[in-house]
Amino acid sequence: MNSEELAQLKAEKSVDARGTSCPGPLLAAKKAIGQIEKGQVMEVLSADEGTRRDIPKWCTKKGYEYLGTLEEAGFYKIFLRK
Amino acid sequence: MENKKLCLALYTGSVDKLTAAGVILGGAAAEDMDVEIYVLLQAAFAFKKENALTNDRVAEITDKKDEFLASLKRLEAPHWTEAFKTAKEMTNVKIHICGFAGKVWNGFKLDDFIDLADDICGIGEYMTSAEEADINLFI
Repeated sequence: MNSEELAQLKAEKSVDARGTSCPGPLLAAKKAIGQIEKGQVMEVLSADEGTRRDIPKWCTKKGYEYLGTLEEAGFYKIFLRK
Repeated sequence: MENKKLCLALYTGSVDKLTAAGVILGGAAAEDMDVEIYVLLQAAFAFKKENALTNDRVAEITDKKDEFLASLKRLEAPHWTEAFKTAKEMTNVKIHICGFAGKVWNGFKLDDFIDLADDICGIGEYMTSAEEADINLFI
């Protein structure tokens, strides 16, 4: 998805992990993914540089669809579909 | 699909390396890996109930220990015991205390160690676990 599409995307679940460092955001995503249904979208907010690379790889391994990342002021908004 | 297996030979009793181990355990937990941890020699010291939270020894860059520990606090990084606990809550992690290592530090029964420990074992179990693991680490 491009940035405009991502900006329009309405996530069913938002995980704010901006206060944690690696592996905090990944673990927060892992905890939260169980709370949404297959096909639903989740966004992960993270200020950790490593997370934007970790989440796509994690999605590939776990069979989720990585949709893209938006750069916000001082953090990343990372989208995936379960 | 069967979970991948991580076998960690944990030798260190130093919080810098234990913190690194905790980060790796977090990665393993995120991927639902099965983890077997074997607590060897100096790590058994760190796992003793009276030492786990008070031990602040570091193994490397020791002249910057205060800076390192302050950074962990500033970054709100969980204490290694918390990181291990989180991993145990999220995936299948078993922590085995090496019987010999326990005795070196006057730990003779499971109750001498923090609650994260599951049992006391011999090196034979480590060898079997290491043979079966997809990833083997020595920290």
